[in-house]
Amino acid sequence: MKKVLAFTIMMHFVAAPAYAMHISEGLLPLNWAALWFAVAAPFVVLGVRRLNTLAKDDLAMKPLVGLLAAVVFIVSCMPIPVPTAGTCSHPCGTGIAAILAGPLIGVVISTVSLLLQALFLAHGGLSTLGADIVSMGVVGSFAGWFVFRGLRSVGTSLALAAFFAGLATDWGTYLTTSAELAAGIRGTAPFWPLATKIALAFVPTQLPLGILEGAMTAGMVTLLQRKRPDLLVKMGVVKESKVAHA
Amino acid sequence: MHYALHRPERADNFLNRLDGRVKLLVVLVLLPMILSCRGFVFPLLVGALSVSSCLRLGVRPRHLLLRFAQPLLFAAAVFLFKMFTPGAAPLFSLSVWGITLIGYADGLVAGGLIACRITGAVSLAALLGFSTTFTELLSALAWFRLPPALIEVALFAWRYLFLLYDDAMVVYGAQKNRLGYVGYRQGLRSFGTLAGAMVIKAFDSSQTITTAMAQRGYDGTTPLRQQPLRKQELAAASLVVALLGVFWHV
Repeated sequence: MKKVLAFTIMMHFVAAPAYAMHISEGLLPLNWAALWFAVAAPFVVLGVRRLNTLAKDDLAMKPLVGLLAAVVFIVSCMPIPVPTAGTCSHPCGTGIAAILAGPLIGVVISTVSLLLQALFLAHGGLSTLGADIVSMGVVGSFAGWFVFRGLRSVGTSLALAAFFAGLATDWGTYLTTSAELAAGIRGTAPFWPLATKIALAFVPTQLPLGILEGAMTAGMVTLLQRKRPDLLVKMGVVKESKVAHA
Repeated sequence: MHYALHRPERADNFLNRLDGRVKLLVVLVLLPMILSCRGFVFPLLVGALSVSSCLRLGVRPRHLLLRFAQPLLFAAAVFLFKMFTPGAAPLFSLSVWGITLIGYADGLVAGGLIACRITGAVSLAALLGFSTTFTELLSALAWFRLPPALIEVALFAWRYLFLLYDDAMVVYGAQKNRLGYVGYRQGLRSFGTLAGAMVIKAFDSSQTITTAMAQRGYDGTTPLRQQPLRKQELAAASLVVALLGVFWHV
């Protein structure tokens, strides 16, 4: 127990200032890097197909998805002070993308955003792109979208549903990243104890950050509802008849 | 962000002139070799060559350090973890707040290897990023059969990234001047508004862009022209990879 505690404290001090959601270039061994690419590929292909289908009806769809990818890129580069850790971390931004454009398009947006970050900022990497797409794109988008749709279907308000969607996106992403890291670096050590240790090490940063991301997502959706409800209707987030009551 | 995304001042360098597809091919061959090698020499050699090439390109050491900051922190964390993971041969022990931590020789080697791989891989990716324009890279990725829709979305994202970023900074500055970031609650509200305003801007811009592009003949596809691949460049790149490959077993 003492060793777990010591390790957690040590990992926290080293990992907290880092961009914890992106797995660094070169960190995963070849077999794990290839596996995560194989897991991510079908989602990216389905996302691209969905985008092509939507783009046939609406010529503005590709530019819109590109601009949303730019927004996710900027949001996920912005440092947010984390009170409990005393450091800065960054939100995912994929939750809002999934809410607005759907989870499959969310995967495409994340892929583009992660590719840009890997090539030009060294946040994440080319070899770890598959793993990062799985954690931020696939798990982040689907967790956020399912939570949002689930809560909306039981009558939860738009802001509250968006808050929990942002929360699920962030925590889902960081838990998946912890598992990916543990699987990649464990060597001969057992998987679950290590995954737990890594997850615990990220808790002081990611636990409050998830709440911050939830609040940010709720803030974004509330602003759209107040200022531009037509956009929420266009993206199928709310029905036209319910705009006034959402 | 601009410092990292814009090309640094560079001389007319051989690496800049090299076909983007050849550079990408070299990176796609060397990266798996780095990830699968069992020695320290290969990743460190690739890392040293890449960093020195970056410096020859005119990249400022400060920019290189900023680029490496996050991966090196990750490398340090993994190195420490592996070193203190129970192994076969204890090397040293230290006491932290009354808790005794034992460092193991085999963990030290395993951690060092991962840290070297990270250094080598990050340096290689940095060299690719610094020596190749984004459009050149996307053109190369299209040649490698990446879905055209993904390429188009990436091109749109890249084209409007700086405009959105500048807009975001103007709004952020205005919010800050109006004490929008005093206290966490207020800061969070301001950040949510900022992010929401960016989404609105993205929506509106996408409509304007599409109208403008449709007037100029945009039909939903963006053609990317490919020059024929130069065999001399491909041969030279193969030679470099083969020479480096000699050190893969070391």
